[in-house]
Amino acid sequence: MVYFSRNSNNNHDNNIELARKISLLIDKSKIDEYEIYISSSTDNELEVFEGKVESLSYSDSKGIGIRIFKDKKIGYSYTTSLEENKIKDCIEKAILNSKITYPENINGLPLENEFRYSKDNEIQKYIYDENFFKFDIEKKIKLALDLEKVVKGIDKRISGVDSLNYSDNYSEVAIINSNGFEGNYKNTSCFLFLNVISKDKNDTSTGFSFLYDRNPQKLNIEQIAQEASNKSLVLLGAKKIKSTYADILIENIVAAQFLGIIASILTADSVQKGKSLFKDKIGEKIFSKNIDIFDNGVMKEGFSSKPFDAEGVNKGNTCVFKDGVLQTYLYDSYTARKDKTLSTGNAVRASYKSNPTVGVSNFYLTSSENYNLEDIFKKIDNGFYVIDIIGLHSGANPITGDISVGAKGLWIKKGNIEFPVKEITIATDILSFCKKIETIGNDLRFFPSAGFIGCPSLHVKDIAISGI
Amino acid sequence: MIDKKIAKKVLNELLASGGQFGELFIQKRLSNSLRLDDNKIENALSGFEIGCGLRLIYEDSTYYAYLDSIEESKLFESAKILRAAINSSIINKPINLNDSYSSYDVKVLKIPNEVDPEDKKNILIKVNEAARNKSKYIYQVTANLSDVQEETIIANTDGIFSKNHVVKVFLAVSVIAIKNKEIRTGYKSLAKTKGFEIFNEKKPEVVAAEATQIAINMLDAVNAPVGVLPVVIGPGFGGVIFHEACGHGLEADAIIKNASVFKDKIGFKIASDIVTALDDSTLPGHWGSFKFDDEGTPSNKNVLIEDGVLRSYMLDIKSSKKLKSPLTGNGRRQSFRDIPIPRMTNTFIANGSEEPENIINSVKKGIYAKEFSGGQVDPATGDFVFGISEGYLIENGKLSNPIKGATLIGNGPEILNKIEAIGNDLDFSPGFCGKNGQSITNEVGQPTIKISSITIGGTGL
Repeated sequence: MVYFSRNSNNNHDNNIELARKISLLIDKSKIDEYEIYISSSTDNELEVFEGKVESLSYSDSKGIGIRIFKDKKIGYSYTTSLEENKIKDCIEKAILNSKITYPENINGLPLENEFRYSKDNEIQKYIYDENFFKFDIEKKIKLALDLEKVVKGIDKRISGVDSLNYSDNYSEVAIINSNGFEGNYKNTSCFLFLNVISKDKNDTSTGFSFLYDRNPQKLNIEQIAQEASNKSLVLLGAKKIKSTYADILIENIVAAQFLGIIASILTADSVQKGKSLFKDKIGEKIFSKNIDIFDNGVMKEGFSSKPFDAEGVNKGNTCVFKDGVLQTYLYDSYTARKDKTLSTGNAVRASYKSNPTVGVSNFYLTSSENYNLEDIFKKIDNGFYVIDIIGLHSGANPITGDISVGAKGLWIKKGNIEFPVKEITIATDILSFCKKIETIGNDLRFFPSAGFIGCPSLHVKDIAISGI
Repeated sequence: MIDKKIAKKVLNELLASGGQFGELFIQKRLSNSLRLDDNKIENALSGFEIGCGLRLIYEDSTYYAYLDSIEESKLFESAKILRAAINSSIINKPINLNDSYSSYDVKVLKIPNEVDPEDKKNILIKVNEAARNKSKYIYQVTANLSDVQEETIIANTDGIFSKNHVVKVFLAVSVIAIKNKEIRTGYKSLAKTKGFEIFNEKKPEVVAAEATQIAINMLDAVNAPVGVLPVVIGPGFGGVIFHEACGHGLEADAIIKNASVFKDKIGFKIASDIVTALDDSTLPGHWGSFKFDDEGTPSNKNVLIEDGVLRSYMLDIKSSKKLKSPLTGNGRRQSFRDIPIPRMTNTFIANGSEEPENIINSVKKGIYAKEFSGGQVDPATGDFVFGISEGYLIENGKLSNPIKGATLIGNGPEILNKIEAIGNDLDFSPGFCGKNGQSITNEVGQPTIKISSITIGGTGL
């Protein structure tokens, strides 16, 4: 059976050349500087349900984002149409938009002497895997169907799989600008997501897991099936508990989501606008333990790795915290000029549809003093092992620092698991949370969200738990 | 963008190897957005997109492809690639395309692209000034103004040919207030499926003042309590509780996947007698309203719960065929790049009879939750949370201290039965809902309601 035929990589060829052609359409007398960003993408998405393909989606797409500077003002516009008149419209719109933005002397394209890092010539080969293309659509469908079978065979209490998705992406990004920068990189990735439902007597519980790789052949379906099933099964029969203060042990995937909130206020943009609790705290000890945090834009196994950022600045490895002490914020070229420093290569954009802003890349927490999960359990006399949270986007306010989220997990008594717990909340604030981290696990794991955030399991002292 | 003749030819090609359903979704979208932050217009952005999504349903499987083009030859090519996925002997009857009709008709007075960019800029400047003038504690103001103009054509093998023109305008204001090192935030938005005339009906300065008031009210907040208490939920955005606690579980894809606590409950009592809830995309100009949904089904007023009894789910074409239940006009998608799925539109609890003050007065010790930052639900278990952004303690029937950092957590079916009182002050609030990676516009709504008991997740033990 033939599904979608991948008709060569035509879509991705010559993005640099296309950008050069577009640059010729720009009337240089109307602008001071320009930047052309092109991303082309081939996407496959597939969902299976009860032994069948529920949906299968395929696309080849390309978009162009044009940023211009005129009289120190910025204008931006994008188009998905490659027709010459539409591209001309796009340029015109960018120029028009620049007329209503605020002029600032520090506005402008990055210059090479503003880069903190030199170019990493190695990273391209780690973010693109030729083997990606050897995995055809039949294999993808088989992988997903096999996974569904494996899950259902794990335990008779597993009543269903409400979400089993495979998606992959091959993309190429090219940037050129009027300062003479020209660069491109290509990237392959695949992602598997699974959500399992378990039922027992009158109780229902769910559990999820995910896997990602540059090469789909490396996705291990046994691993994802076991993790999602276990999470769902251990929660069957969960009950509410009385409100209390207790130690919590946050599983790595959940801890990474908390770390994502912290990451969002370490960008120079949020600091300079007074939206960060870390403002004026460089050199201060924020974590009581010896915690190091890095934003490594060129980490070999990092899903946010690339040779240069969203405005063409080289990426590198930035140490944000050393031994719990705040070292630096994360910068793009604009915020770096404002603080009279160099860009850390942290300009990001969600797609060609948005102008660059500051964001994290591969952002992770480690510690030289780290422990096995079993050893951390032993340290907890009476506590809560958090294996899933709900409502982080509505329950965490990065500006005020307040965090209150729904949680489920297991109660720990004298180092042992006692019973499953649900429908309770855990609440704290960001700075207290940092201070109260007591023990750091050795199980660093990454969670792909805005950036690629990695954290080991964290044991945090004395957190408010609300129940009945 | 495409005429019936070409649409018919492409649809015929799409179904040439069999299949139960074929569809073209053609979309052109112009968008603009303007952002003010830190006292200046930080960026201005415009976009143009045009493309087509092709969908083929064969047995229970959906095959989808999209392209950034509406050229006839490319549509044919994509139709060919899609139909290669199936090989069936079912011969389809010839397709006849008929213009769809919808009674929804709201005139747009000020088309975004005809509004002078300087005027758009001035809206944000006024917002900034109004917020900062209202209180000396205002430290930062961020405001976004965006507009979208969309043209869509939907043609399908059930004979639908619907043309739609959508205009949307969105203003969001976020403020930060600081007093004695206490940092508080306020957020308010104005969003309509209309043009820039929305600012004649409500001044941007008013939106700014409302956002500011929230932050100011919260400056002296105490830690929210923990444990179980009665909660009075204010009108408008309070409706997010129904959206999370019940709405998502009534979307038919969750029913089909056996991932909803409301499966097999039609005709059964699932909420207190006083609860009637609707999903209504016909409300003129509301943020979740439309002429046709994203599958060409006309807008519809759908009673979900009537006097506590479950009456209807929310369906799209695929779930309607599968459940053999009539279309409700809930097939929605983010853009031509996405497969439509059942989604809410404007979803709300209908007015009751009580005076809001009397509801608050009836609580001896509890919480008044006025504004919210959003919520989340696991439809399979019904467990949901939502975050309070402006809340107060109720002591002896009166509002007392503001509270900070609180989330409410509960279970949908349990909470629906704990709604003890419903006010007569129905109001709506716009927002964005994310599901399966697709973000769409919708509105939540409710009058003041009282929940007899729910867990409050604060830190004040």
